[in-house]
Amino acid sequence: MLAGLGVRPIRVEAYIGRGEVAFIVVGLATTTVKEARERVRSAIKNSGLDFPHSRLTVNLAPAELRKEGSGLDLPIAIAIALASAHRLPPLRSAFVGELALDGSVRHVDGVLVAARGLRELGYERVFVPAEDAEEASLIEGLEVVPCATLLGVVNHLLGVEPIPPASRAAAGDTPSAMEQDLAEVHGQEEAKRALEVAAAGGHHVLLTGPPGAGKTMLARCLPGILPPLEFDEALEVAQVRSLLGELPRGRPLDWTRPFRAPHHGVSTAGLIGGGSGLALPGEISRATHGVLFLDELAEFQTPVLQALRQPLESGRVTITRSGGSVAYPARFSLVAATNPCPCGWGGDNVRVCRCTPAAIDTYQRRLSGPLVDRIDIQVAVRRVPLEVLAAEPCGEPSSVVRERVVLARRRQMERQGVLNAQLKPTRLRQLAPLPPESRRTLERWSARRGMTARGFHRAWRVARTAADLDGSDTIAEHHVLEALGFRLQDVAA
Amino acid sequence: MSPPELRTRGRWPPPEGPRVAIVGSRRPSPYGEAVAEQLALELARRGVVIVSGLALGIDAAAHRGALNAGGVTVAVMGTGVDVIYPSAHTVLAEAILKAGGALVSQFPDGTAPRRHHFPARNYTMAALSDLVVVVEAAEGSGALITAEAALDLHKEVMAVPGSVFSPLSVGTHGLLRDGAGLVQNARDILAVLNLGGEVLDDPLAAPGTLGFKLRPERDGILSHLSDVLAVNASELARKLQLPIAEVLGRLTSLELDGAVTRHQGGYVKALRRGKERA
Repeated sequence: MLAGLGVRPIRVEAYIGRGEVAFIVVGLATTTVKEARERVRSAIKNSGLDFPHSRLTVNLAPAELRKEGSGLDLPIAIAIALASAHRLPPLRSAFVGELALDGSVRHVDGVLVAARGLRELGYERVFVPAEDAEEASLIEGLEVVPCATLLGVVNHLLGVEPIPPASRAAAGDTPSAMEQDLAEVHGQEEAKRALEVAAAGGHHVLLTGPPGAGKTMLARCLPGILPPLEFDEALEVAQVRSLLGELPRGRPLDWTRPFRAPHHGVSTAGLIGGGSGLALPGEISRATHGVLFLDELAEFQTPVLQALRQPLESGRVTITRSGGSVAYPARFSLVAATNPCPCGWGGDNVRVCRCTPAAIDTYQRRLSGPLVDRIDIQVAVRRVPLEVLAAEPCGEPSSVVRERVVLARRRQMERQGVLNAQLKPTRLRQLAPLPPESRRTLERWSARRGMTARGFHRAWRVARTAADLDGSDTIAEHHVLEALGFRLQDVAA
Repeated sequence: MSPPELRTRGRWPPPEGPRVAIVGSRRPSPYGEAVAEQLALELARRGVVIVSGLALGIDAAAHRGALNAGGVTVAVMGTGVDVIYPSAHTVLAEAILKAGGALVSQFPDGTAPRRHHFPARNYTMAALSDLVVVVEAAEGSGALITAEAALDLHKEVMAVPGSVFSPLSVGTHGLLRDGAGLVQNARDILAVLNLGGEVLDDPLAAPGTLGFKLRPERDGILSHLSDVLAVNASELARKLQLPIAEVLGRLTSLELDGAVTRHQGGYVKALRRGKERA
């Protein structure tokens, strides 16, 4: 059984005893598991196997753990069939799958997660529904037996007709199509540079600008300038998709960074994960190792935004529900976008903003506070003048920017093992010292704009990233100045 | 119409001398804000009492300018004199009182802000002043009500021109077309008040001069910036054919020196000399 990306193996025991004819399941089974009795009974009979005509007890251990899900159908049926045949199950093997009434084995969600967890627990062989064999076979060192029908599995176990193990899935080698290429964005050099710095240092970004300025288009460019996923990252992305039953057939591993753009009406559960029983992953976990785009940031419910704080800091989210608490990965790059004011035209040179000062105040207050405080890079996006729009696309393609990003990220990993955005202040001082002139500039700004200590460190990290993009070992003054150029929040009203 | 009874806080009536109302948009451009503050500063130095409405934007800039000159300024409020609106101006209101100015209102104590109170307040503001200067006003702005009231009361109305591209100057240009006095500097106002004389330190009289030394490499950027319309870094980088990272760094450096200010829409050349904005 699964708990988040963790696995709890369940031992299924069957005992055929004397007494009144009955089929009893013990061991804290919830409704879906109790219903397994009917599926198991008819699947066994329709497979042409004997269903014991006596008192049958199935025990699910450990007894104190609540059992959920139809994935226990197959192991229960196998336990009964083996007990009838007086045979023992194979060692270090696990079974997962739902049964149809005719004895065929059906897909269950999360097989990839189960396979990875079982491998870590020392299992050597896993029996999974045939259609899920591909995802399970992504896990190295685990024999995957694809199960099409219950009869086929029983025959395999009794040595009548062995099932050949699934061959390892070949992971696709090229990322699927890019969301959007930077070359298609005209103008907007400032915002493009902001995205490049964000991608290089793992920083979060806030884009502020009027409607139609191209904020969404810019956000969609970020996955394409990030390096392709590493194997472990792709596996984690695939596991979240597997849990949700969203893993595409024939392409279980994808090297493209996820891009998720939940609507501002999203609930807390939808964003960070939730649901009854054990919580399912939410948008932030689907966006892990990729990009989470929150358009119209000020329109999101305050509690929803509050719930983002913990994952933003830790890269994980822990959700507690009645069924227990689960943790999911949530290490994403946040791109938030907002209008400067409710009508959207504040600061525009042509259209007049019609908002009352009080409305603007309320709007911006909703944006300030703990969430925006955690965004390192803020940039104003303006509508691009028509003469620029009309010009031929002349921007750099994403692939060129990505090369610089990859090099900058490599520098960081070699120096400190994490991206700059994740450097703790003590390590920042140690590994990214500020030369006197750079420090003076940062302090001067800090003194004039009343920047907090947190803001000081954030600007420092962004300056380090600018230096990394430059291939420079030291943070020069112009790196600090550039970083400060991305601090829209320090501008006096 | 019998004059409404005035509730006051601070020194009332203010010291003898001409009273000039400086009014305009609550959401001015950086240009408008700078002009309002500069005009108030110059006038207050000549003993003029600056009247305004304690609102955001031009009003606040006018009060601030008078206070910076050590002058007296009067806030005509649309709420009770004990209700500071917007509340962000509590400090400003206290500074006005401390400097020997006054808060006055035609509304009883405790009156909360109401939309329909403000046009009435605008009328009072005109009534209490000898002359009304409109700095920036979009079409339909409350500042135009003050100007209209001033005409009804046979007071002088003057207006500050702006860019023809700026929606915030549509109202003021309308006033100028209809015969309002042209304000290019504080001297224009003092002349109407019959207080002629040399105004010292008047950057409005000599536009385009900056009071600090530039590093040569930043000059190129400044020449592409305007003091009215915001220009963003992307446009600058395109015009100057420089990498965006470099342009951003130079702009920040200019900003640190007070030569440019950053706004929602981009960068604007700072009007004032040397001195950093608060």
